[in-house]
Amino acid sequence: MSKITIPLGPQHPALKEPGNFLLVLEGEQIVGATVRLGYNHRGIEKACEDRSYIQDLYLIERVCGICSHSHTTCFCMAAEDAAKVEVPKRAQAIRVLVGELERIHSHLLWLGVAGHEIGFDTLFMYAWKDREQVMDCLEMISGNRVHYSINTIGGVRRDITPEQAAEILKRVDLLEERTKYYIKLATEEPTLIARVEGVGLLPTEEAHKRGAVGPTARGSNVPRDVRKDDPHLIYEELDFQVITSGACDVFGRLYVRVFELLESFKIIRQVLKSLPEGPIVAKVPRKIPPGEGVGHYEAPRGEDIHYVRSNGSEKPERVKVRAPSLANFSSVAYMLEGGYLADAPIVIAAIDPCFSCTDRAILVKDQSGRDLTLDWEDLRRRGIEFYRHRGLDFSRIA
Amino acid sequence: MAGVRTEEEIKEILEKRFGTILSNWVIQRKRRIYVDVPRENLVEVVGFARRELGFDHLGTITGLDGGEYLEFLYHLSNQGLLLSLRTKAPVSDPRVQTILHLFPGAEPYERELEDMLGAKVEGLPPGRHYPLPDDWPQGQHPLKKNWKVSDAYPAEV
Repeated sequence: MSKITIPLGPQHPALKEPGNFLLVLEGEQIVGATVRLGYNHRGIEKACEDRSYIQDLYLIERVCGICSHSHTTCFCMAAEDAAKVEVPKRAQAIRVLVGELERIHSHLLWLGVAGHEIGFDTLFMYAWKDREQVMDCLEMISGNRVHYSINTIGGVRRDITPEQAAEILKRVDLLEERTKYYIKLATEEPTLIARVEGVGLLPTEEAHKRGAVGPTARGSNVPRDVRKDDPHLIYEELDFQVITSGACDVFGRLYVRVFELLESFKIIRQVLKSLPEGPIVAKVPRKIPPGEGVGHYEAPRGEDIHYVRSNGSEKPERVKVRAPSLANFSSVAYMLEGGYLADAPIVIAAIDPCFSCTDRAILVKDQSGRDLTLDWEDLRRRGIEFYRHRGLDFSRIA
Repeated sequence: MAGVRTEEEIKEILEKRFGTILSNWVIQRKRRIYVDVPRENLVEVVGFARRELGFDHLGTITGLDGGEYLEFLYHLSNQGLLLSLRTKAPVSDPRVQTILHLFPGAEPYERELEDMLGAKVEGLPPGRHYPLPDDWPQGQHPLKKNWKVSDAYPAEV
């Protein structure tokens, strides 16, 4: 059979993010795959050199719309190492709390996307509905759903009140119940298992060799987790498991993520139960003396590394960011080879490459040109009205 | 048992094997080691750290423009312990050997050094740019300190 080469992407290669996958096909089977990235290069590292550390923090937060807190925490830890600053315990605990809430939202988001990629849109809607619980927690703590801006060099910007803690615990209970349902689904539902088992194989030694990180590595039985290996913040004092799976396929990655949700709930309960007292920020000079630091953080997608070099001024000499997805793309090429074209979307999505999410309030102009803000209730009411005109009544659906 | 070695023990083993080739040791804190390696010994030291000391994961490679020279930091990891090997190459001769045979995942990191700083990674197979676009003007390297956006996009600034 003659070979045919087709490009997947750069627009929407199975997910809403630019990347190009050049697939060599023999019939339905993929016999070769090359990955081409860089379409989203925004020059953030260069821009950081022209801005102060505090300004950089806001720029770094925008590296990713999903793991924004991961990047700022990593950057802060590198800068704090360079400045030789000790971060107060309470601030470290709050960083862990937000970090784990972020992991929950990210894993639930992935679960939904994975469901969508395999044609299981009910799962997509369930997972994203439940994800709202954790988004509400994040909004309650920080005022924001996406870029929480909780970190600052030397600590965090907002404290946690006992009322907030109680509300988070309430929602975590709810989420835990839902997660148990997803675990049942992932491990027992035959149609779901049939779609992910044996797909996108990445043997343990390949994952190791190619430097895979995060759930991609752990789903191939490589127990690599920065929270355990290089315990930062207060992770050393917390009790949690590193979840691995020997399945080495998309099922393994699914398994790791759903069980990691349970570990995150465990961590959040521990943090809130014994939130250390004290200040939430240490004083850091605006100008950081010459030095360097490597930030090392377990983001939802895996190991995140930031390198910061200071030169005595208020601006860094160099900021280097290595987001987890980059470390996993070498593995994607391997996973695609030997598989079927129809599996390419879920194989690519299974490493959970990043893309931004949007806000839920929209600002529109009414007929007279005035600004009109629509919140969730307004949108719901309008939707019900719209369908009632067409003879459908949805008003009794909660 | 490689994982249980302390920072001091790792330094001792590397010093015993390579002697004064390695200089400017800094044990910044727990799990953070920095050391200077001459460019011609880099691959040998990386290989030794991988084989004998359990540094089986390459975090990333950081490149810096130091004016007269380019500086590269290879962040190797052994179960979370980060060993940053620092090497320098003069701007007039910015060559460095590839470590792809030791860490196949290093390809994007090495291409980045070529694209962003103008390093020449010897042994890196020919391939497309990363992260810059295919039609990027030759000889322009954004992370050089004297590079301005207007160098590449004169019409837009």
